[in-house]
Amino acid sequence: MRRALFSSAGVETAGFSAVLMLTLVLAFLLLMAPHAMAETAGNAPAIQVPNPSTDLWREVRQRDGVTSGRSQIAGVESGTLINPYGETWRNFRMKQLIPYSGYLLAGMLLLLILFFLVRGKIRVKAGISNKKLFRYTLYERMIHWFIASVFLFLALTGLILLFGRSLLLPWIGSEVFSLLASASKEGHNLFGPVFAVALLLVFIRFVRRNIYQKGDLTWLLKGGGIIGKGHVPSNFFNMGEKSMFWLLVLVGAVIVGSGLILVFPVFGQARITMELSHVSHALTTLLMILVIMGHIYIGSVGMEGALDGMTTGYCDLNWAREHHAEWATLCEQEGKVITDVEVSRLRGDGDTQQHAATSAQETG
Amino acid sequence: MARMKFYCDAERCIECNACVTACKNENEVPWGVNRRRVVTIKDGEPGERSLSVACMHCSDAPCIAVCPVDCIYDTIDGVVLHDKDICIGCGYCFYACPFGAPQFPQEGAFGSRGKMDKCTFCAGGPEEDHSVDERRKYGSNRLAEGKLPLCAEMCSTKALLAGDANVISDIYRERVINRGASVLNRGVSYQNAAFRASSGMEGKSSVKK
Repeated sequence: MRRALFSSAGVETAGFSAVLMLTLVLAFLLLMAPHAMAETAGNAPAIQVPNPSTDLWREVRQRDGVTSGRSQIAGVESGTLINPYGETWRNFRMKQLIPYSGYLLAGMLLLLILFFLVRGKIRVKAGISNKKLFRYTLYERMIHWFIASVFLFLALTGLILLFGRSLLLPWIGSEVFSLLASASKEGHNLFGPVFAVALLLVFIRFVRRNIYQKGDLTWLLKGGGIIGKGHVPSNFFNMGEKSMFWLLVLVGAVIVGSGLILVFPVFGQARITMELSHVSHALTTLLMILVIMGHIYIGSVGMEGALDGMTTGYCDLNWAREHHAEWATLCEQEGKVITDVEVSRLRGDGDTQQHAATSAQETG
Repeated sequence: MARMKFYCDAERCIECNACVTACKNENEVPWGVNRRRVVTIKDGEPGERSLSVACMHCSDAPCIAVCPVDCIYDTIDGVVLHDKDICIGCGYCFYACPFGAPQFPQEGAFGSRGKMDKCTFCAGGPEEDHSVDERRKYGSNRLAEGKLPLCAEMCSTKALLAGDANVISDIYRERVINRGASVLNRGVSYQNAAFRASSGMEGKSSVKK
């Protein structure tokens, strides 16, 4: 007991002496510090010595933001010696855009195949009926397939320019690939502005039916019928279709805007503008292609009866009841249900008079 | 193996634009295209310097990396050349290049880009040396004649140097040392140069204290 007490006191003493030492050392340092500083100042005066070479290089290298010199050579940015953003753009394109967009596109394709294998073709539960509803006019079908074909062409040519060097060039050789890439570039530039026109036509025609409504949130919460049993009632377009429409319009506007900046290099755009346009063009088109892949899937092999409306103009009554219940009910109330026989008569199998009636209805 | 480089000495360039003119004449570059240009920094202000810039024939050239048709390549001499038969005129090399070297003649409607044109280090193109096609597409091929690019050869103040990187850097190093020594020895103004006189140099100053 005594011993223990003693030893603890010893530890205390040792601790105290250590603190004392530390304080003494600190005090010594504090006393010496001003002296030491004065000595350094006396040896080498801290004067900022400007170095013309480093100043010049800093300016050339654009370290302190964009500065421009003057050149006798006319042209956009001819006074800029170094554009530091070129390297950023190169790294984006080569190290991020090309590999990751490749993974994303391949992943989406795989996902759709997997989904098809798991879920299979979504059938019309009540079976295909012999009654039809009129869904898309001739004009609506025309602008749909117009924008669809232009989009597919632009996507294909764009992807050739993005992935061609790594995927096609080793197979078909430099000369043939150059011809293909040249045609892709010219075609892409030519049909780019056409896409803008098509987008405008689609927007004007379909915008009213794509405004979000009351039932849309329920559709979203139920994942469009994937979660839970049964279909979620929706109007002419469901929430998913509406969202795709707005994505098409808004993302499409960015695509068109950035594309126009890139396609006409004559308005004095700086390189940074074109680099940023290219980045936004690439990212937005990638998003669009991914979404359109899903759209093509659900409109073709993914769902029974979904394609009919866009090809013939008429959709099956049972399909409409299951996927667009509110719209189908409205049509039934208004007595717009027509039989198969009537449809084939209206679609031009009858005489000239009836054919005229068809066009009147279809274009209406 | 030689590695061809340009070097422009900012302390020597007098912005006479002779390199630009020599290049245009030697290579018969199309209208609106300039393979070389002289840029003046701080024009009319203290510290004004001029630099002549063209394709710098980078070792890891960004243009080679981004070209979607792989038409740009570097030769055994480290000269970056391109094949105009393969080029599609997309402009990607122009976005990636830090020096603004790739140029595009305006061809067709709405100023769409034609085949890219840039400095070849006076080394022509992929065609046979001194052939008519090479001359028409890429201009002169002085390198095959054992000569250096005309811009550097014409430079009156020898500010613009062209040739093997080792030789060029040796010349430049020598210049830097001589310049530094002259500042220290004779006290000539080198614009508040960032040199600090060592104790051994003091006696040699021509400036009377």
